[in-house]
Formats: sequence, C-alpha cells, structure tokens
Amino acid sequence: MRVVSQSVVPRDITDEFTTAASKLKTGQLVKDEYFTLFEAVGALEIMDSKMDSGYLGPGENHAQALEDDYDLTRELGPEEVLGIMDGLLCHEMAWHMGHPLSQTLFTSLYLDKLLWPVPKSLDEAHFFRGHLANNNEELAIVHLVLRAYCLALVKCCDFVHARVATEYYFEEEDFVTQLYNRSLLSQFEPEPFYDLLNRAISWVDEQKGMLDERVREAIWTRLLFRREFLQGLEQDVEVIQTRSKEHFLTCLSQLDNLAKSTSLGTEVPDSFSWKIQRKLASTVPPRPMVKINFEDALAHLKRLCQDAIDLQEIIDYQGPYNFKVTIWTLLSRKPQPSVYIRSLVQTLIVNNMTILGAVPVKQFLYDELAELVLPSRILLEANMDEIEVPSDPRFQIAKQMDAFVKRFSQPFADTFRSACLNRCRIRRTVCHTIVDWDNLQMEAEDLDEQLRTLSKEPPLMLANGDATYSYPLSSWAYHHKLIQFRLILQLGFELSIYSPEELPGMYWYLSHICSTHLGHIDRIRTFTVATAKRNLAEMAAKKRDALERHTALQKSLRLLERLTTQIVAVDAFAISLHALYVLLARHGILPTASSAQAYSSDRLRYEIRMKPFLQITLPELVPYDEYRREAVLEGDSDEIVLERATKAISEARKAWEATLANGAFVQDSDGEENLAPAIEEDWKRDVKDTMRACIGASIAIETVKKALKARANVAEPKEGGHPPSVNLRVTIPETGSKARWHDWWIVPQVSPAAVGSKT
Amino acid sequence: MDENKAVQYLDSLIGRTLRVHATDTRIFVGTFKCTDAARNIILASTYEYRFPSPSTVRDAATGTNDSAAGSAVDAPNVKVNMTSRFIGLVVVPGQHITKIELEETPPSRVRDPLKK
Repeated sequence: MRVVSQSVVPRDITDEFTTAASKLKTGQLVKDEYFTLFEAVGALEIMDSKMDSGYLGPGENHAQALEDDYDLTRELGPEEVLGIMDGLLCHEMAWHMGHPLSQTLFTSLYLDKLLWPVPKSLDEAHFFRGHLANNNEELAIVHLVLRAYCLALVKCCDFVHARVATEYYFEEEDFVTQLYNRSLLSQFEPEPFYDLLNRAISWVDEQKGMLDERVREAIWTRLLFRREFLQGLEQDVEVIQTRSKEHFLTCLSQLDNLAKSTSLGTEVPDSFSWKIQRKLASTVPPRPMVKINFEDALAHLKRLCQDAIDLQEIIDYQGPYNFKVTIWTLLSRKPQPSVYIRSLVQTLIVNNMTILGAVPVKQFLYDELAELVLPSRILLEANMDEIEVPSDPRFQIAKQMDAFVKRFSQPFADTFRSACLNRCRIRRTVCHTIVDWDNLQMEAEDLDEQLRTLSKEPPLMLANGDATYSYPLSSWAYHHKLIQFRLILQLGFELSIYSPEELPGMYWYLSHICSTHLGHIDRIRTFTVATAKRNLAEMAAKKRDALERHTALQKSLRLLERLTTQIVAVDAFAISLHALYVLLARHGILPTASSAQAYSSDRLRYEIRMKPFLQITLPELVPYDEYRREAVLEGDSDEIVLERATKAISEARKAWEATLANGAFVQDSDGEENLAPAIEEDWKRDVKDTMRACIGASIAIETVKKALKARANVAEPKEGGHPPSVNLRVTIPETGSKARWHDWWIVPQVSPAAVGSKT
Repeated sequence: MDENKAVQYLDSLIGRTLRVHATDTRIFVGTFKCTDAARNIILASTYEYRFPSPSTVRDAATGTNDSAAGSAVDAPNVKVNMTSRFIGLVVVPGQHITKIELEETPPSRVRDPLKK
C-alpha cells in the first residue's frame, strides 16, 4: 500500500496542464533530466491490451473482468476436486521449472481466494471469504479436502521459495521469485497444515463406499503425497541431521498412482483465470497462462524427488576430491536438477563457513592441500593457539597460513558452489573466476616463498644443478586454474559454443591445456616422491608419526596417479579428435557455420575464444600464428595426421578404461564401502558414454582412412589434374541428440556419400 | 501562456505526484516524469486504483462480515476502499486522460516526508 500522509490534498490541474501541453511542439518533451528515453521504452502503456494488465476490453464489464463468475463455494464432484488438484500440480511444477506465479499457480481462483487479502490466521484462509459463511460444515470435499490440499501446496511453495531466494540463482533465467505482493503463507507454522491434511485424509477414509472407490483412492493418494512432499521440503537443510529419505521415497512411490488415476479427474478450467493478473502487483504486461501437461509435471516431480533422495549421498564427507566428484556428478545429471535442488546443494556445500554442516572451511582447505600437494607437515600442523612465542617460526607459519585460509577458503568453496548454477552460468562464472585464480596463484607464490624460509624446506636439486622448491600453495592454485581452463573448453563443447570450423583448433587447445596440466602434476609428484624418500629414512629411524605420514604420502601419490590417468584420457581423446577434424577440414568436408562472405575469420574467432584467457599470466597465451599452425597441423601429411588420430584414439580408449577401473572415488586403503552408490552409477555412465564416443571416433577415423586410400588409388593416374574430392559426408551431432554420445566430445558422423552426388 | 511559460509550468510539476484519471475510471498515482504535446504522461512508481466492483459494494452493503476486504459497515452509508496495486512505470496516453490532479501538501505543514 502506498504511504500517504493525511495532509495531502489533490488539486485539479487538468486545464492548466492541457493548455500548457498544447503549447509544446510536436516531438518536444518536458521531462525529468535524469529520465532517459531508454527507460521510457520500458513503460507500460495504459489502455493498451497488450501492455496494460488492468485493461478491460470493450464489452467486458467490471464484474466479469475482475471477479470472474466462478463461484468458489459451489459444490464440486469428487472427480472435479481431483481435476483441480492435478491442475494445480501442473502449475506448481511449471513454477518450479521457471515460470512466474502470475502465469501458473496464481491463476487459480481457489488459491487467490485463500491468499488475498492476506489472511491474518490460517482459519481465515477459506473459500467463503467475502460471503456469508452459512453451510460451512457441508461440502467437506471442497472446504476440507480441497482447501487442505491448496493450503499445503502453497506452504510447499513457501519452502521452495525461501530456499531458492537465499541462494545464488538467476531471476527469470532459473526461477521467478516475484510474489506480486502476496505471501505464500510464510507467516504460519507448518504444523496446522499437517493437521488439516490429516483431517482431510481421515475424512476421505470415512467415505469408503460413499464415493467411487477409484476416485476416492486417487484423492487420498494426492493428500498423502502432499503431506509427504511438504515434510520433505520442510526438512530442507535439516537433512544433514535427519538423513531421512523417507518422505521423498514415499512421494516417489505415489507418483505411479498419480499418473494412473489422473484420467479419473474432470478438469475445471473455469477455476483458473489469467485475469487475476489484473489484481496482482506487477510491472510487466499481461501474459498468457502457462500450460504444461500432467506427464511433464510428473516427470519433473519425479526427478526432483529422486535428486532430493540422491543428494544425501553428498553429505558424507570423504575429503574434497570425493566431495567434488559427487557434486559435479549429481549436478551434471540430464536434465539438470531443478533450481530448488541446486539451491539446496549450495546451502549444504557451505553455510556459515562450514562445509556440509560439519567441516570448518579451514579443515576443508587443509584436507585439500594434504590430499594434493602435501606441503611440509609443519605448514598444516602449526597452530597459533599452541605456540605463543612470536619469534618461533611455527608462530610465524601459523600466521601466514591463517592469512592463506582467509584469502583462499571462499574462492575454493566457490569452485564447488559454482557447479550449482545453470550450465551456461557455470561457464560464464568460471570465465570470471579463472582471472581471480591467476591472482590467487601469484599471492600464493609470495606466501610460499616466505613459508619456505620459515619451514627451512630443503631444495630439490635438478639434473642441471639448479635448486628448486616445491611451492606447494601456488602449485595447488595452478592446478585449480588448469582445471578451470579445461572446464571452460569442455563446457564450450557442451553448450554448442563453437562452430564446426573451430573444432580442430579447440580440441587442439584442450590437448594443449591437458599436456600443460600433466607437466604440472609431474612437478608436484616429484616433490611428493622426494618427501616420501626422506620419510622412509625417518621410518627406518622409527620416528614418531613417520608411519602415519607414509600412509598420507602414499594416498597423495595415488591421487596424483588417478588425476594423471584422467587427464591423459582427456588429452589423448582431444588429440585424436583434433587430428580427425584437421583431415575433414583439409578435404573440405567439414561443415561450416559461416558463409564464404562472412565477416568472421579464423583470427577473429581465435580472439573471441581466447578472451577469457587474455589476462592469465600462466599458462601463457598461445599467439595466433602458433595456434593456427598447431590447429591445422601445418606441415604434416595426411598419413601422419591419420596415424596420429589412430594412435591417440587407442590410447584414449585404454586411458578411459583405466579411469573407469579406478572408480569414481578415492578410497582409503582399507577399502571401505562406497557411500554414494547412486551417484557412482551416474559417474560410471558418464565415463561409459565417453568410451562410446571413443568408439564412435575410431569408426569415423577408419572411415576417413578408407576414403582417403580409395581416393589415392583413383587419383594415381590423373597426373597434374585436380585431385578428386573425398567421397564422404560429415554431420556434427547436436548436443542431446542420440548420435552425440557425450556432451563434451563432439564426434563427427562420417559416412560415405551417395555415389550419385559425386561432382 | 506562451511556450516558455508552458514549459516552465510543466517543468515545475516534474517529480511531483500526479493523479491521472483514465477514461475507464481507473486512477493512476505516480511520480510525474515526462510529457509531450499530445499530453501523454509518464509516471514512475505508479499505483493503479480501481473503484470497487459492484459485488464488493453489495457485500459491504448487505453486511457480510469480512474485515479483510477493507470495508467498513456504517449503515446507511457504506464505505468501501478502492482496490490498488503497484504497477511501476507507465505511460498514460493523452487521449485516455479525463482528469489530472496534483497532490499537494497544504502550506500550513510544508514538509514533504515522502520525498527523499
């Protein structure tokens, strides 16, 4: 409501205004100096039916336009109640999918009656509002059953709304949080909603024999589902403590019944009206009602429940590496988990500087360092609380490490949280954070140098006699930056960012980043091995902690080995696809997105693709000329390129098999049972899809090989003439199509062209 | 009124709160931002006011007990509030305007607490 002080009085200025305006020249404006025409374009035009949600068309009288003729207190048959319930469920899911409430749930006249004017108590939220409450006790199917269902549904939305709104999401892209000045009953505690539902359920129980049994059961199932769904959503982040899957499992078990019985219902289309938009506080033009069908709604609901169950598998903390695998795998599910699930995962990942509600971020960061770079023990063990002598190096180290934690814990946690965004935004976000990580790496380098003197780290002597140090913190930061490089490229493939003519270059660049990364991991390993050797001596001397340390070092080495295998797999596959695409491009059979007259050129495309990396100091930017030479494999004959493709693809297949054999998770040597079976299944499927893509690539390479051979045989006699074109047809499968085995691996489909099309 | 004066007058209204009545009886109350020769008016932070529907009036008159509807039963006269909602930035085309009012604070209390 607009705040108006009592003393304001209106004065009629119609005549003055009209006269003054008439003196203006055509096109002349009198305006607020800060008000721009650009803004003016966004103004809603009153009395324009397309823009003005409050506009009443000719012939629409006031009452019809705003009130709708629908009588909310009217008697409804059980079939109609069923139909309304399912209609509401469709709207609810459409809202979950990202449509605004004004076009979905808020079109329901029943909900409108309950929610507006804002009820002061839950008892006040009933369908009789504004009418004489005469026959309140009768028509229980409407005033008890339907009302309980509606209220509980709104409360469900309230929980979803609250969760999403507190997390990072993109308005209108992922979700619309706009409530149009209404409330989703957030002011009421959840208990009375359960009471209402339970009362409704027992009423339906009592109706055995009085209603059509199938319809009665269908209504009963919906009430039960609603109760469990509400409980599941109320649980929200409490799931860390409760670990209860019960409610969502019950929901899932009811979905088949919902699907089967929906046909028993009778739709009541009159009880939904887009005209309610005329009463909502809304700054947008009127928009049509969104209609999704019941199967789609159920499919969405089913995934939501399943994701809600499976997300419990991320809760058991088993080190940062495993944590990342579970999160990435869960959130890479196709279709992507809904915005509610993604918001919930964000909260679970880090809330109040605590990971999964149990691990302090400092511990989390230290675990990560211990897993990967294992800097000299003293760095992670020094604790300011224990050493109070400022001159003690351990005190100094603790101070430096605290500074490190302060600076790095947030960006590190964000590398996990960013996975919860929608896929396009993940890539965009990583394009920004990669620059931050470049700076972080430099800061870490400074810290490393200071810490090195404090901890008296022994240098490692290189073959050429130079001394070198481990630089654990910056090594670790560099590792993360390289992961982000790879992610930007691979998500680029997934999101169909690159045109076909760019694929040779982009796959080359991916392999280039992989080999840089492999080199970096080798460096880390060298130092870990050296530490392990020193530790063996200490073990022989039976020093305290040496055995424990040995175990930790072995674990770290195993992780480095696992990472190496994975990156080799990516590298080899990228090399192979690069070579394959070079051949297709050379023989002019690679489709192109741009026409010959297009403004775009290889150089301009290079510039735009390298934009995220321009500011990065390490790895250095590949200059265009070098990039082009590498991308087209300049100077290599077709035979060499083919050989390269064939060799790399067989190496890739081996490396992916090894990756699969290693399993999704790092396990402690005692081989404890896997706590994330569902997510591991997804992970395996992903690797297997990649392996299928490898096989697809092998076949494509073979096909090209044969075609080139055939052409060579034909070409022989034609001396000096123009070589015949390669008789192949190439299509690039779209993301999501069946022939695209894996989003990150664009394997071209190569097939012999029809003989007739020879030119 | 010559052109200069006209511009001056309209300029003096910029930033003030206007009540613009439309041909369909709705009233738009918002901050005056812009106008032109055709008397099109752009208002910012606008609220739409609509006369209560006949049924609301009838309910109020028959004494339906519904405090939330914002009506007060005071027989024989019935007082029913206009319904309002926020709609933001709007342009009211000149041909649909029936009346323009300026919200003023009487000089006795020259303070405008609404203005930032």
